[in-house]
Amino acid sequence: MGILKQNDYADVRSVGIPRALLYHRYGTLWEAFFRELGREVVLSRETDRALVDAGGALSVDECCLASKAYLGHAASLVGACDALFVPSMGNLGHHLGFCTKFQALPDLVANTLRDRNVRVASCLVDVTEEHASMRDAFLELALRFGASPREAKRAWKTASHEQERADRAAAGAQERLVASLASMQGEDRPLAILLVAHPYLAHDPYLGGSVTDPLERMGATVVFADEADRERALKASFDFSATMPWIVNRELIGAILLLHERIDGIVLVSAFPCGPDSMTDDAIMRCIQGKPILNLTIDAQSGTAGLETRIESFVDILRYQKKGGYVHG
Amino acid sequence: MASMDDDGPDRAASASNGPSGIFDGAATSVESGRGIGAIDESLIGHADGSDDTLRARIALQLERKRPPRLVLPRPRPKRDRHARTRVAFLRYSYYDIVFKFFVEQVLDADYLPLPEPTKRTVELGSRNSSDSVCAPFKHILGDYLEALELGADVLVQFAGPCRLGYYGELQESILRDLGYEFEMLNFATVTGKPLTDYIEVCKKKVNPNLSVPHGVRGMLAAFKMIECLDEAQDFYLAHAGFEAERGSFASTLASYHADMRAAASDRDIADAHKRGMEALRELPVRMPARPLRVGVVGEYFTAADPHSNLGLERKLLDMGVGVHRMLNMTNRNLRYHEKNLRASIADYVRYDMGPTSSMTIAAALKYAQEGFDGIVHLKSSGCTPEVDCIPVLQQVSRDTGVPILYLSYDSQTSDTGLDTRLEAFYDMLAMKKERAR
Repeated sequence: MGILKQNDYADVRSVGIPRALLYHRYGTLWEAFFRELGREVVLSRETDRALVDAGGALSVDECCLASKAYLGHAASLVGACDALFVPSMGNLGHHLGFCTKFQALPDLVANTLRDRNVRVASCLVDVTEEHASMRDAFLELALRFGASPREAKRAWKTASHEQERADRAAAGAQERLVASLASMQGEDRPLAILLVAHPYLAHDPYLGGSVTDPLERMGATVVFADEADRERALKASFDFSATMPWIVNRELIGAILLLHERIDGIVLVSAFPCGPDSMTDDAIMRCIQGKPILNLTIDAQSGTAGLETRIESFVDILRYQKKGGYVHG
Repeated sequence: MASMDDDGPDRAASASNGPSGIFDGAATSVESGRGIGAIDESLIGHADGSDDTLRARIALQLERKRPPRLVLPRPRPKRDRHARTRVAFLRYSYYDIVFKFFVEQVLDADYLPLPEPTKRTVELGSRNSSDSVCAPFKHILGDYLEALELGADVLVQFAGPCRLGYYGELQESILRDLGYEFEMLNFATVTGKPLTDYIEVCKKKVNPNLSVPHGVRGMLAAFKMIECLDEAQDFYLAHAGFEAERGSFASTLASYHADMRAAASDRDIADAHKRGMEALRELPVRMPARPLRVGVVGEYFTAADPHSNLGLERKLLDMGVGVHRMLNMTNRNLRYHEKNLRASIADYVRYDMGPTSSMTIAAALKYAQEGFDGIVHLKSSGCTPEVDCIPVLQQVSRDTGVPILYLSYDSQTSDTGLDTRLEAFYDMLAMKKERAR
């Protein structure tokens, strides 16, 4: 932001990280980065009903469920750390953007929690307007935490490598899982269901668990779209759409294209009301054919009982289909 | 559940007959087994989050009838290189005047004017959109459907840094699935690319023979025209609330627009503007000693387009209020300096929060500091960036004491509902002003 700021976060000893939204994508990097800078990382607890309700009370009604949950997480950290880490994530390039929510988040948190004197430590990732890559953002952030340029580079290197390793491990595990499913024959092979959802839903035990738990209870194997090889998925997404603006939605759609032949069905989960998904769910439902797709929208009020019924009936369809139940064409 | 199993094969079969897509039964609601319309109904009840039922739908298109692509590549229909192309834009306030000039003077093609939108326009758009997309998407899809019915060859869509950036491709996909044949001049396809790519795409989609030097001159004139139209609108908003003769400002502005619509050169634009502004300035006004003034802020389409906001500005003017709106194409597109706007609101925000966020907040703070009596914030329902401005605006309101009315529009918003809220807001502002005397 113009004048390079230095040392203004140097007094921050403990950094609070809300366990929500992009934490589920970049959490490894963030935690490792602050650990490398010698800071204590304070994570908010796992999402629960109370956090979602608290976040809902702080939010404008029209915000999506995931955003409300985030504010609940953020509020729970006030007083438990010296500063909250809330980056402004604009984009990683043209057609590689994030939902504007992620761009607005630091100011949204600061204004919402102004009365509680919240301190927000932040950095800006915006390649198209500011030429600020993720690396640039974190190097500057390290300087603001009082690190020397050398320490900054080391912290970034260690943290980004840890994130890459974690992503590669997830992609590798998925590849082995899908391969082992393919090697099984007939009745014994469990149903493979591709769960297509933003990481903050898919990997949040409270928000996404209401979908993954019933699937697994019914003996289906859940394959997470966001764990597919991101680079390949992103590349594949350009075959689907030239102008889709959001990188995470791109990776999810790319993963569908990469894994389509190796799964039995797709469960597409969105938080209500998700801006990007309001458009991409329609695109997926209409244009990706050949496998049954169940599209669920979850909000704070929906009970898990309703979800289970729908997931059970969907799994029934897939089982029937697997036995050759429906005649093609 | 049982009924769904029974329906399944039928649905798959029916989907393989008609054109595919979730709008004709390829996908259907698990809840009722009806078409997607049924899901839409259940969504409406949900918008306030009070309903406990869950939204779920299934797509069962088991035969792959199309490759997994949003817009399918297709053989380019052979076109007569000398035939003139009919180009249609979306509707956006009075900027159709600029769109016409752009098509005729820059693209050197025929402009297809659209009639005033009707209830049918948004119904057409809503019926063919997913329910949860933002209202401008539905309005524009309705515009396009009407344009295609009127014989448009090319539809034009802009790019934008939010969901708007995806409008063009998704709308093209929906319209093609409905069976329409057209070209889409979608500027989102060249975002971030050099000017030569913009020229290339215009040549490819509209007119291979367009003259670049003439087009550049036309483009500069079009920018000038935008500034003129916005200047006239600013004058109208500031004064029409106090007109001595009812309707005089609206009719003078309409003649000015008609005059401008006939312009074919920068000279014509300057002349029309001079005549129009003189005519507006000559209109008699009765300015009260302490007039009520209201600032309008918000999302790009809903705040600036009278058809999207149910004529909010006219309603305010009719109450005898002076109105100001910073958001227009001049300030948001031609002269947008986001960093400087943000510098003026540094007490509230550190980052650019979205496409119009810095302007929304900066305008609101400016109105508060200049002693405006109230602010109206407009957005389409669920517009993420403008929703995220609200906590900031609430702080501005708290610090400065300026009342802010928050309005959220969807395709169901009613005129009478709006009137009631505006009248209550007006009464509150008038009473506050009276007390402060």
